[in-house]
Amino acid sequence: MIKKVRPKIYSKYEINSIMFYGTMILFMPLVLVFTYVFDIEYVLNINSFLFYLMISTLALTIIGSVWLLIKKDQLQRHVKATYMVEFYYLVAITVFGLLGIVVLFDYLGGNRQYIANILILLVAVFVYILLRLGRKFFNFDYRKKK
Amino acid sequence: MKKRPVSDESLNRIIKYMGIIFLGFGIMLLAIQFSSFWGWILNAIKAVIVPVGLAYLGALIIFPLVKFLEKKGVGPRFFSLGIVFVLSVGLIFSAFYFLTPLIVNEIKNFFTDDFQVIVNYINNDLRDEFILGTDLYDKIFEYVNETNIISETLDAFVPRLIATVTNSLLPLLTAFALLPILLIFYLNDYESISENIRTIIPPRHEKNVAELGSRLNQTVGAYLRGQLILMIALGAVATIVYKLIGLKYYFLFGFLVGVTNIIPYFGMIIAAVPPIIYTFIATSGPGPLLVLGVNVVLQFFEGNIFQPLIMSHQLSIHPIVIIISILFFGSLFGALGVIFASPIAASIRVIYRFFSDLRKEKLRNSLAEATGS
Repeated sequence: MIKKVRPKIYSKYEINSIMFYGTMILFMPLVLVFTYVFDIEYVLNINSFLFYLMISTLALTIIGSVWLLIKKDQLQRHVKATYMVEFYYLVAITVFGLLGIVVLFDYLGGNRQYIANILILLVAVFVYILLRLGRKFFNFDYRKKK
Repeated sequence: MKKRPVSDESLNRIIKYMGIIFLGFGIMLLAIQFSSFWGWILNAIKAVIVPVGLAYLGALIIFPLVKFLEKKGVGPRFFSLGIVFVLSVGLIFSAFYFLTPLIVNEIKNFFTDDFQVIVNYINNDLRDEFILGTDLYDKIFEYVNETNIISETLDAFVPRLIATVTNSLLPLLTAFALLPILLIFYLNDYESISENIRTIIPPRHEKNVAELGSRLNQTVGAYLRGQLILMIALGAVATIVYKLIGLKYYFLFGFLVGVTNIIPYFGMIIAAVPPIIYTFIATSGPGPLLVLGVNVVLQFFEGNIFQPLIMSHQLSIHPIVIIISILFFGSLFGALGVIFASPIAASIRVIYRFFSDLRKEKLRNSLAEATGS
């Protein structure tokens, strides 16, 4: 008998976990990318700002992880066929997060000459991760024609 | 080969259609004779249609949020509507409050710092760097000086522009003043208004018209919401990238990317022109090639990632169709036609698909009846 390969459908717990930890990983760049536009470096001391931002990220990660653990059973009972909206969210934060990483690189005193090289490398890595995540967890294959 | 004779049925149909066409032309000819009278009526209709149309489009964007809050148990309607309304007004107000000074500041800086440089460049350096040669430049300059073409064009254009702006300013201001009130009443009684509109339709067509209306609402709503998100996302990305590459007036140019993105395909090209020209003339900052590269990459991301992700499946229309519809509706309705060309094209496709589905269903039903009897 030929066995048909069906994609495993993950519960909202796994998807929410990916979204939450993805957001937390990119949280600092995400905040920085918007503050950068408003020239925050001229108003605040950037080192203390980065320090407070790191502390807030850590606190938010702990609170979020506890919340996820409390709601685990409830979230595991919710299942959707595809997680398109959730995937769009992940793509959006990745785009802004990538730009934020470049801003962080600039704030940390990195050489501006290498910004383009770093950006290209990061885009390649993040696109690969997103494609893999989309196919495996979100049941969303970008390369497949709709 | 023997020619097939035309059946009486086809002949009758052809005569009927020709009759309708000639009658239509006759009515149009008659209507043209009373053009001033129609002008009054059309102006009166326009005065009503513009605010009501804007309220309808606004409702398509806001109503899903109201519905979402109601689904989460925030009710009754006026309460959820109040929350969404206060939030939207607050968001628009704060965007104006924080962004307008930045943009105005950049425009001011441009006129104090760079405008004179550009004028000097055109007067002095452009001749030497003119791509088609200095002779041709001198001839063009001579022609411009002899014919006074610039002052003549400006003399003709400025009064017309002032007249158009003053004529359209009052109706537009009235429409914007009325918009929040209309929107509140429309959203508060959204379902009952739709129900009342349904009662006007003859019962025979009620189901079909309701289905078509819901499909159109879905398509236009999806387009408007998607376009709004796309404009904000691309405007933000462009502003950040422009600042990263060290472009002066990054806020102004980024804002331009966001606003012009309302026009598919052409918008990004229009938005790329001012920063590229600026970098050509500016003595410091990034080169024009880098700005061009950034815009190409943005265009690539917009077309291949943002657009397919944000815009729903219903709006996946072939680029050629969109470009043709922009040209066609742009020439028909001007700037509004250019902006709304894609949703109009999508709506036409929805209507066409609806009638083709209807025809298929009718055919299926008659086939089932025939096989049943």
